[in-house]
Amino acid sequence: MTPAQEVDYILNDCFLAVGQAVGTQKSLDFDVIPWWRARYRAFFLHAMSANGNSWLRDRHRVTAVGRFLGQRALHHAADKPSIDLCTAELASSDVETGCRMNAEREGEPAPHASQA
Amino acid sequence: MKTQEPPNPFHTDVTDSLSTSTDTFDSPSPVEIQELERQVEYIVDDCFFTVGQVVGMRTTVDYEAVIWWRDHYREKFLAAMLAFGNRWMEDRSNVTSVAIMLAERAVRYSEGKPSIDAEAARRAAADVERHCELHARRAARRQGQDTSDAAVPRIAGYWCTYP
Repeated sequence: MTPAQEVDYILNDCFLAVGQAVGTQKSLDFDVIPWWRARYRAFFLHAMSANGNSWLRDRHRVTAVGRFLGQRALHHAADKPSIDLCTAELASSDVETGCRMNAEREGEPAPHASQA
Repeated sequence: MKTQEPPNPFHTDVTDSLSTSTDTFDSPSPVEIQELERQVEYIVDDCFFTVGQVVGMRTTVDYEAVIWWRDHYREKFLAAMLAFGNRWMEDRSNVTSVAIMLAERAVRYSEGKPSIDAEAARRAAADVERHCELHARRAARRQGQDTSDAAVPRIAGYWCTYP
């Protein structure tokens, strides 16, 4: 499977992980899906081309970040009935900031952090 | 579960919410097919998100199960879209309600196992498809439509449409 094919399975896996953390308390606005997909597809493909496809090795760590994304979205949604685009952007910003800081601490190059 | 405003799909009754449209889409052009192939990814993502919501932190899902569900349903959803066009914004609540059933069945079939494996995923999918076909057959009968084996999968929509 090429990275371009594999990345779609990985994104499905991550959407499932985000949903696990969100739970049934809130729904997700549909326009968040294309936004998250475009953003993380590009990040993941970049990481896969730079580091090779190591999904089975990285899956546990990356889906944990997906669950963190869901938790942050839930937090930013506060008392809104659904996770909207603005909420998703805030959650992504939190997660990516955390990943960059983590990568810097571990001395890894920043682009790799976007897949973790 | 917390009380919610629509369009949260957790409030719909799965047995009353399946798509029963028989409107068909004229043969799509290659450009339209390419666009539907792009859009089906969002729909599959949306359903994976819903499955995750329902599974919650009760268990995990094996990657093999993710692969099986994606391969199985992407093909079916795309077939439905090629037949009916992209009706996702109209059908979203109904279709994600079926994803709720899929997740609950998968959790049940994984009882005693450390995670939802491909076998549990397949068994859950078989249950959902049986349910959809029965529902579609009943709906077709109510509407005085053809209830033959050939017609029912089309009537059942996304989850049961055979390419």
